[in-house]
Amino acid sequence: MKSPASASWKAPLKFRMPAAENLVPIRLDIEVDGQRYKDAFTWNPYDPDSEVVMFAKRTVKDLKLAPGFLPQIVQFIQSQLATFRSYAGQDMYVGDKIVPIKLDLRVDHTVIRDQFLWDLNNFDSDPEEFARTLCKDVGIEDPEVGPAIALAIREQLYEIAIQNVTSARENRINKKGRRAAEHFPISKPSGAALDLMKLFRSSVVRKRKEWDYYKPVLDLLSNEDVDALEAKEERSG
Amino acid sequence: MPLKPPYPRWYEKNAHCEYHGGVSGHAIENCITFKRIIQRMRNRSWIYFNNSESPNIIQNPLSNHQENEENAITKKMGKKAKTIVSEVNSLLAWSKIRIPKLTKDPGMENKPRHDPNPDSTRPEEPELDLYTIPSYSSWFAWNDIHKTERQALKEFFEGSSISRTPKIYKEYRDFIIKKYREDPSRRLTFTEIRKSLIGDVTLLHKVFRFLETWGLINFVAPLKPHEGSESDDRVRVENGVPKGVRVVATPNSLRPLSAPVVKGKNSGDGVEESEAKLPPLASYSDVFGDLKKLHCGNCGDNCDSEYYEYKKDNFIVCIKCFKSGNYGEGISKDDFDLKDCSEKSATNGAVWTEEETLLLLDSVMKHWDDWDLVAQNVQTKSKLDCITKLIELPFGESLIDSAKGRGYSSSTSTNMIGIKPVCVTSSEHQEKIINEDQGYDYTNENEKNGDPENQEPPSKKKCTASISDADSSLIEQVARISTMVEPQITAAAAEAAVAMLSDEMLCPREIFYGDQIDLTNGPLSPTLRAHDIRESEIQERSSPSESQEIPLKNSDVPLPLRIRAAVATGLGAAAAHAKLLALQEEREIEHLVAIIIEAQLKKLQSKVKHCDDAELLMEKEYAAIEELKEHILGERINILRTTYNTGTSKLLEPSSVQSQTGNMS
Repeated sequence: MKSPASASWKAPLKFRMPAAENLVPIRLDIEVDGQRYKDAFTWNPYDPDSEVVMFAKRTVKDLKLAPGFLPQIVQFIQSQLATFRSYAGQDMYVGDKIVPIKLDLRVDHTVIRDQFLWDLNNFDSDPEEFARTLCKDVGIEDPEVGPAIALAIREQLYEIAIQNVTSARENRINKKGRRAAEHFPISKPSGAALDLMKLFRSSVVRKRKEWDYYKPVLDLLSNEDVDALEAKEERSG
Repeated sequence: MPLKPPYPRWYEKNAHCEYHGGVSGHAIENCITFKRIIQRMRNRSWIYFNNSESPNIIQNPLSNHQENEENAITKKMGKKAKTIVSEVNSLLAWSKIRIPKLTKDPGMENKPRHDPNPDSTRPEEPELDLYTIPSYSSWFAWNDIHKTERQALKEFFEGSSISRTPKIYKEYRDFIIKKYREDPSRRLTFTEIRKSLIGDVTLLHKVFRFLETWGLINFVAPLKPHEGSESDDRVRVENGVPKGVRVVATPNSLRPLSAPVVKGKNSGDGVEESEAKLPPLASYSDVFGDLKKLHCGNCGDNCDSEYYEYKKDNFIVCIKCFKSGNYGEGISKDDFDLKDCSEKSATNGAVWTEEETLLLLDSVMKHWDDWDLVAQNVQTKSKLDCITKLIELPFGESLIDSAKGRGYSSSTSTNMIGIKPVCVTSSEHQEKIINEDQGYDYTNENEKNGDPENQEPPSKKKCTASISDADSSLIEQVARISTMVEPQITAAAAEAAVAMLSDEMLCPREIFYGDQIDLTNGPLSPTLRAHDIRESEIQERSSPSESQEIPLKNSDVPLPLRIRAAVATGLGAAAAHAKLLALQEEREIEHLVAIIIEAQLKKLQSKVKHCDDAELLMEKEYAAIEELKEHILGERINILRTTYNTGTSKLLEPSSVQSQTGNMS
């Protein structure tokens, strides 16, 4: 599918994640026989499909899940992969786009909120590295936070990339599984195509009053808060 | 620790050294340690001393002005440092200035730095801020973008986007550096600055890292204690399931679910994958499963030898529990399989049959380094087993090694010079050292797919007893020896001989190497070689036989000519050497003869001398005898006289006269 004749001085690219590594973010939230399995990770779409089955088997075995999980896990992963791949052949119009990425997630005891800009054109970008730097700078000890951040970034990038694909399909993909982490819905990226002119016209240094919005805000919860939140999630989810 | 009396010579009780934290005993002007540090910094061009009027201001090296000439005292810091007054002054100035904090707004700070009057040569005012940057970053200038920056951060200079321009880069850079300098002692983090700058965070991070690498920021600040592989430092062993993956125990579970201790096998695996074929996703139980001692699910005992495994799930019960029926509800006896522990023991010592070994060697011959293919060929054994087995074989390692040297077939000549089938040291005593190890390597290289069965482990340097006697000629010996060793060795030795010859003389070189044939590639025909060996000649220093190599491919020179030329060369060489030998022999003979003659002469001389001596003796004796004779004669005369005198009186007596005359007649 060709992109409509929008004013772009960049040739459309094939769909891919606007990051250095073309990995697919996958979320799972499955319930079988009273057992609930929630997980989120990145997957390499170039892996053969046999790996999915193996991975699912491993997961079931390691976590001692009920055997009914196996087909479900496989199915969910494969469907998400398939969705990703369905976009793969299509053109993606990126243009010159810098989008805001927002983080608002809770990982165990750590709640993090953040906002920053991401250049979709920058195929050197690495969400994992950004997450690593962030954790290091802020001093987060929990080793799970980094990957969760990276995953959240990837998900948002993924969504934006999909919207860039000039297909009429709506995106239903990632809304399938329930979100494991608390997560404000991402604002429609109509503002994603930030007006670069406006943005970069004057000084590149932000006004001081805006500084607080663009820096990460870290919260450490106590055990009771965590429990309360989890209970609330289960009820609502 | 403060000193106690008796104090050393230099001790001044009332002086305090700021460098040493205010300790008493010496002043900073006299502090050798401090001076040494200053000297070191000067040596590395971190700081500069200004000349002249306002003495010894240490200037900001980042300013526009070029470095002034160093005019400080260049006397080496050391034990004599005390005595120079101006040095003392400079250190005083330095100790007062330190590294100040910036009090003004960063935006305005640029102006006082630049000299408002560009053509003046006055040094700047002492209230400059001082920052140290490494000397390899001295290219940095505030109002310019250096080539280094352009190269490292190309994105800004390609005009590819409105969000990436040189102006924007400069803003980023200036902001970051100024931000750092607000407090140089603390380490500036990326997160701090990215909140204040508009732009793609990845690109910003790149700029940040660039500045940090070049020491323009975070140069003086201490490293964070958790530098390096932070992920390794931070891995915590968690009890229970990682929270991102939540599994709730069902009411039917027989025991509490316990998750693998090592976290993250699942979530992290998808990330670092490349196009290359990777091993399958490993899980904890895979990796550590074998190491785990097997415990009974019920009573927790060790299941050492035998246990029962539940068919439908991963659950084992020891024999005791099985017999007593303690395995929980919903499970019947039939569901259990008896399993033996010994089955699971890793059979590492794989048994290699002969066919497999042969297969292995064969496939190693064919695919030297590609263990995947080797393992494929030897179907029943894994890659690791193959490698292990090969190493275990006595020559296995040399095979592996020779695989590397396979490409160097032309180095055979250098190889072979090491081979000395005949070592002609003296005519009497000849030993033979055969380097069969190398010989076998050569075998491998020449006969590409040699039959592995025939390869025996090479005996290293074998010193065989001397098989030659001094009687037979050298040529015969060579012939004999060369028939004893393998043809390849002689061939190789022949090459060496050829090489040697060619080095000496031009003609054979033309013949042999004129058409640039690589002589080492040709396989050799044994019969021709044997024939030629008998006609060959020994060189003085190296290998014995010289065979006529006939390369079968790429030959421009016709064969008969080559043969004739080769033979002629051989014979010519032989003749020349023979002549030389003969000459030498002659000389030796002469020498020996001369010696003999001399000896004879000596003998004669001594004899003559002996005779002379004897003659002398004789003469002496003769003289002595003569004397004696005269003496005796004299006595006789005397006696006669006396008797005569007495005799005349008695003449009258006829008897006495008669007797006397009777006596007298």
